[in-house]
Order: sequence, then C-alpha cells, then structure tokens
Amino acid sequence: MKLSKIGLSLVTGAALLAASAQPAFAGEQKTKPILGIPKSALDDFGGAAGVHAWVESLFYYIMLDNRISHIFREFGNVERQIALNTQLEQMVLGGAVEYQGASMSAAHADLGITMTQFNAVVEAAYNACERNNVPYKTCNHLIAALAPFTRVIVTR
Amino acid sequence: MNGSQGSKLRLWSCAAIFGAAAAMHSGLASAGYNDGKVFLTGGVFTVDGAGGGGAVPWATITGYETRDGINGGIGYTYANLPALQLNVFGGAIGFYDRFELSYATHKLSLNLSNLDTVALVAEALGGLDLGTDPWNSTLQMDVYGAKLRLFGDAVYTSDSWIPQVAIGGLYKENKTGDLVRTLGANKAKDWEAYLAATKVFFPLSTLVNFTVRYTSANQIGLTGFGECSADGCTNDKEFRFEASVAHLLSKNTAIGFEYQQHGDNLDGKSVSLAGLPLEGLTGLLGNLLPGVEDALTQEKESDWMDVFFAYAPNKNLSFVIAYLMLGNISVAQDQNGFYMSMHATF
Ligand code: HEM
Repeated sequence: MKLSKIGLSLVTGAALLAASAQPAFAGEQKTKPILGIPKSALDDFGGAAGVHAWVESLFYYIMLDNRISHIFREFGNVERQIALNTQLEQMVLGGAVEYQGASMSAAHADLGITMTQFNAVVEAAYNACERNNVPYKTCNHLIAALAPFTRVIVTR
Repeated sequence: MNGSQGSKLRLWSCAAIFGAAAAMHSGLASAGYNDGKVFLTGGVFTVDGAGGGGAVPWATITGYETRDGINGGIGYTYANLPALQLNVFGGAIGFYDRFELSYATHKLSLNLSNLDTVALVAEALGGLDLGTDPWNSTLQMDVYGAKLRLFGDAVYTSDSWIPQVAIGGLYKENKTGDLVRTLGANKAKDWEAYLAATKVFFPLSTLVNFTVRYTSANQIGLTGFGECSADGCTNDKEFRFEASVAHLLSKNTAIGFEYQQHGDNLDGKSVSLAGLPLEGLTGLLGNLLPGVEDALTQEKESDWMDVFFAYAPNKNLSFVIAYLMLGNISVAQDQNGFYMSMHATF
C-alpha cells in the first residue's frame, strides 16, 4: 500500500520533470510517418538553404491563390511564418533544428480552416517544389512528414 | 425485347447526369460546388462507373470535392480487343467526399465467327431467338452504383496504417438477356457489393488499393450472372479479390497495374440454343463444319489484368491508356488489347 503510493508519486514526479525539461517554446513535435523519413531527406531538399528557398516559394504561391491568400493577409504574418516554417520543415525532415513557434493546433485553432483550404496549401507546396526543382519524390517526403498535422489544422 | 424503352431509359439517365453536371457547373456553384481535392486522389472512371482505377473500384469518392462540397464528372472508355470492342459511357457524382452515385452504360460488340455460325444456324432452323444476329452480336449493360466512405483518410494519415475504407453496391442490368442465356448464364440482372481499402504512401509516391467483391458475375456481368446447365441453374455469389497499384511519377502522372479475380461459372460450357445445349447440334454441325464443337465451348474465364498510364493535365480532365490482359472471354481466347479512357470532372 505504502510502497505503491511512493511508486505513484515517483512516477508523477518523473512525469513532471520530463515535462519541465522541455523548453517552453518547443511547441511542436516531429511527426512519425509509418514509412519513416530517409536520412538524406533534408540534404535532398538542399539543406537549410534549400528549405528556406522552398518556404519562400510556398508563400509566394499561397499569396497568389485567391482561395486562401485573404486568410494570410488578415491573420498571418508572412515574414514570421516563413522563418518559423523554415525551422519546422527542417525539423520534420530530421534536421537538428529547434522549432520556436506555437504548436500547430494553437496556431490554427481559431482560423476555422477547411479541407479545401488545406489542400490549396498542399497544391502551393507542390508548385513550390516544382519551382525550386525539388524532385517530386523528395517533395513527397516533406508532404508525408507534414500530413499528420491535417488533423489539428483542419477544424471545419 | 423492348429495345426502344431501354434506350429511352439510357437517354434519360445520360440526360440526368449531364443535367446534374451542368447544374453543378453553373447554378449550384455557390451551394456546394467544390474542387479542392489534390490531383488524381479522387481516382478515375472505372468500367463500373464508380470512382477508382480502370476496373477496380477504390475507397476514394469520385470527383475533386472535399468534405466541403460536391463534384463529379463524366467518363468514356473504349477497349479494343481482337474479338470484341467495349464502349462505356457514364458519370458519377461525389457528395462531401463521403458518398458517391454512379451510372455507366456498356456496349460490347462481339466479332466472333463461331457465334456468327450459331446465329446463322439458328436462322436456318427457323428463327430461334438467341439474341445474336449473324455478324452482329452486341451485349448491352447498364450499371447503377452507390458508394459510402466508412472511415479513414487515404491521403493524409501518413502516420497510421489505417486506410480509407468504403463499401459500395452495384446494380447491373444486362439488356441482352437472350444472348446472355445463349452463353449459358442464369440471370441478366443482378447486384454486386464490394468493400474497398485505399491508401496513399507518400514516401513511395504510390497508391495501393484492395477490393473484395461479392458477386456471381461472368465477365463483370457482360455475359450475365450465374450459370445454367442440364442440372439446372445456379447463381451463387462468392467473394473475389481485386487490387490496384498506382505509382505517381509526378503529381499528375501515374503508372500502375490492376488485377481482378473472375469466376468460373461458364467454364467449359457449350453455347446453348434457346435453352437447348448445343451438344447434340454441334455433333450434327461437326460433320458439316469440322471443329465447330470446340469453337462453341467456352474457355475457362480468366482473371483480368492490366497495366496503365494515367495523366491529368488539369483538374478537369484525365486520360488513361492501358494494355488489357483479359485472357479468355467466352468462346474467344487471348483477349489482350488496348484501353483508352477519358474522365472529365466539373
Ligand atoms: C501542414 C500544413 C501547415 C503547416 C506546417 C503550417 C505551419 C504554420 C506555422 C509554423 C505557423 C507559425 C506559428 C506561430 O506563429 O507560432 C503557422 C501560422 C499560421 N498558419 Fe499555418 N501551417 C499549415 C497550414 C495552414 C493552412 C492550410 C492555413 C490556411 C489556409 C494556415 C494559415 C496560417 C495562419 C493564418 C497563421 C498565422 C496564425 C497567427 O499568427 O496567429 N496554415 N502555420
């Protein structure tokens, strides 16, 4: 009886410790695609510079798309989003980069994003890959790594 | 048969689909028209009318709509095989990426000299109605379908093995009952049900689909359902397995293959004359035309296979060309040939 109580408090203590050990700004975790992400994925993308260039193209295409650009004009902050997405995309591709933004659920919860709008961003992502000469297969590794965020980003 | 009524019905269904498509395109635009789905993820136009590959229905809902709206399209397929030509025209509408209604009408022209012989003999015997005229045997079939997505997301759940799963039903109405019975089938009209599971594996750029179909169809119903022999008629449905694998070379171009298991209802059956098996007659004919007995015995029905190439230049149009390996069809062997399909979505 007593022993189990001690055990319990030990577990809670460990859990608390683990939680507090995470830096407050680590708002998002790496996703876990079932087939994994190859070690070379980030390099195939052109490394940090490649990802940054891709994110810039991504926002170029997003802002050209009448179906979604108004959302970003009204609620977004494109400069901040480019910086944070560059971190996030490197992280999900396996780069040793800290993502310093909000969690995907926190960032998008109030936006009421539809599946149609989400798919529009995915189309922009493929256009950005083509524009930056990122091979289709390499592009799909990033799509696989980002796809699980659909659940929390699409709220309508 | 009441041919004029049949064709009127077909015309109506076509008109209905065109009407619906036109309505979606214009008036209803604000009410729910939607084309937000990602390239090719709605599948193309199967010969059953349902959304899927060429022959295999997928768990994906037809059209480019997402859960936010309605979309659909019309399709046309032409297959040219040594002994037959198949024309399929139809359309399908997807509702909220959840539910799908489809229609397809088939015209299969047979150019089989051995069947022509039967028709000639029947005519000579005084006009037995076999549903086949000399030099002109055309099988016709209408297919009505519905599909309901049960659970899962074929595209975005890359961190889970759970596929998108749907159930579907098809009602197939073969309009050439006499010819179908001449070929030994039991019924000209019947239903089929299927369960499909589809998943996109992004890291492999590949879509995989498995389908189980509960059916008694002979050649997807083009030569009817079940069988009749001297011991009577049966129409025993069974589970048959189907699969599609599509590898995307780019976001709008795919290559792949399909497999569809077929039954054995008509294997080794002789063509029958108005309910009379031909055995007696072929014996008699055999003396006149050596080899006719063999020629009128149907081959073992082969499973269908094909390799395909699909290309969608934009969201309103996709083309599929395929090489079909359909094997033995009725009394014809080695039916391999080309397939071309167009699917226009609105
Ligand atoms: C997998 C897809 C997506 C990813 C990886 C993603 C990533 C991000 C990131 C990293 C941020 C910055 C969070 C922060 O400021 O701390 C952000 C914010 C934002 N995202 Fe997304 N996003 C995705 C999809 C979408 C979609 C589909 C839309 C709308 C159509 C959207 C609209 C926005 C807006 C408006 C903001 C700014 C929110 C604010 O500053 O309050 N995002 N997103």
